[in-house]
Amino acid sequence: MRSTGKKISLLALLLLTAFAPAKRKDITVYLIGDSTMADKAVKAYPETGWGMPFHYFFDSSVTVDNRAKNGRSTRTFMEEGRWKAVMNVLHPGDYVLIQFGHNDEVPAKKSYTPPEQFKANLRKFVSDARSRKAFPVLITPVARRRFDSAGRVVETHPLYAGLVREVAKKNKVPLIDLDQQSQALLQQFGPEKSKFLFNYLAPGENPHYPEGRADNTHFSELGARKMAEIVLQGIRDLHLGLADRIRVVDQKEKK
Amino acid sequence: MDKPVSKKILLFGLLALMSFAWPAQNKVTVWMIGDSTMCRYDSSRFPLTGWGMPFADYFSSAVTIKNKARGGRSTRTFLSEGLWQPIKDSLRKGDYVFIQFGHNDEAENYPDRYTPPAAYRKNLIRFVNDARAKKAIPVLITPVSRRKFDAAGHALETHAVYSGVVREVAHRHHVSLIDLDRMSIDLYQRYGPKNAKLLFNLLAPGENPAYPKGIAHNKTHFNAYGARHIAELVLRGIEQLHLKLADYIVKN
Repeated sequence: MRSTGKKISLLALLLLTAFAPAKRKDITVYLIGDSTMADKAVKAYPETGWGMPFHYFFDSSVTVDNRAKNGRSTRTFMEEGRWKAVMNVLHPGDYVLIQFGHNDEVPAKKSYTPPEQFKANLRKFVSDARSRKAFPVLITPVARRRFDSAGRVVETHPLYAGLVREVAKKNKVPLIDLDQQSQALLQQFGPEKSKFLFNYLAPGENPHYPEGRADNTHFSELGARKMAEIVLQGIRDLHLGLADRIRVVDQKEKK
Repeated sequence: MDKPVSKKILLFGLLALMSFAWPAQNKVTVWMIGDSTMCRYDSSRFPLTGWGMPFADYFSSAVTIKNKARGGRSTRTFLSEGLWQPIKDSLRKGDYVFIQFGHNDEAENYPDRYTPPAAYRKNLIRFVNDARAKKAIPVLITPVSRRKFDAAGHALETHAVYSGVVREVAHRHHVSLIDLDRMSIDLYQRYGPKNAKLLFNLLAPGENPAYPKGIAHNKTHFNAYGARHIAELVLRGIEQLHLKLADYIVKN
């Protein structure tokens, strides 16, 4: 009698484990970077950071925590304690997506970070994240909209994107080359149509920008979503564990 | 001695009360009734976006937007399903009711939605009268255009009959009208046949990880970018009509 009972409970246990879907650990994906990635204040809409649509593409086991801030370089992000704040809550299995450069590379800006320091800061993000058993991902700075007179895209971060690639390679960090791929997207759209990807507004079109806007750095909803899509494809191409948590909508065949 | 002081205190107290009561009187609610082109969507449906979603981002905190639009609804089914009654009951003096139907009313191939023009007219008048009975302000909106171009690249009218009914009701009953159908046709024309697609919820296969097969056909529903452009048109309509609501649009 007893051994039968034991056998039954063992069988039940086996059955349960077979059917119970392996419950994934909930993870957080931290985004650290600048205005091209950041969540925006409502009064700045329709300016959109690519971190905003990025929220929508994962299953419920993933929380996207967008810590990117307008105007920040690697240096000012750290000086203001923003990286420390991430480190305080970073858990094993979390991801840190790192995209800086726009504010590091401009010597006239207060946020300027010379190349050697930029590299050292990226290495610090990487080694700190790894010390917590989190996964760092380096992302080259997304391209600004610039074309030459022949309609060819002009590279806008030649030095600093190269530095990101270099740090990624030397430290074996997964790299998403958003700079290069966003340039390819801009080229595909061409000089005129690419304005739709950026915060271009005619005077009187949008109440938040009564005088209109012609911004070659910050995105519209369309551009932000396209950049987020590039990053997601990068996550897939790198075969990161995170790729398995990208939500796929079950598409019914339409008549 | 005593009397004038207490009078002064009373007056002061009254003024103080009024100064606090003032913002409460300024609160206004905009009720939105309509169909899938206007309604809210769960973020799991992104990038699908109704124009009522970005529309809500352009008002001061004194304005509450209640987007009650529902996918697939015609004026008839919005009423028959009891979706209008609770709104009607909640209306307060000075509230607005933004009314945009037509896509499903005109769909003869969906008998469960279809509403013949005469019944459509009657239903619109009912929304208007119900709103006015509660001293709310109805605003009629012609149905936002579908994306349709002829071979020469001219944006075509897609709701001729039903938009005509909305205009007629607005005219006869002195209701504020935003001719969104006309304005959106002009918008699509500015973009042209190829680029106008950027406004709609279309995706190439593999473009978006959530939709591996892509979304190949869509002449009706907007993405976030398109929805915002449509919202901009409605906001402009509010300003052109000089509605009091225009004072609450946030300008930087």
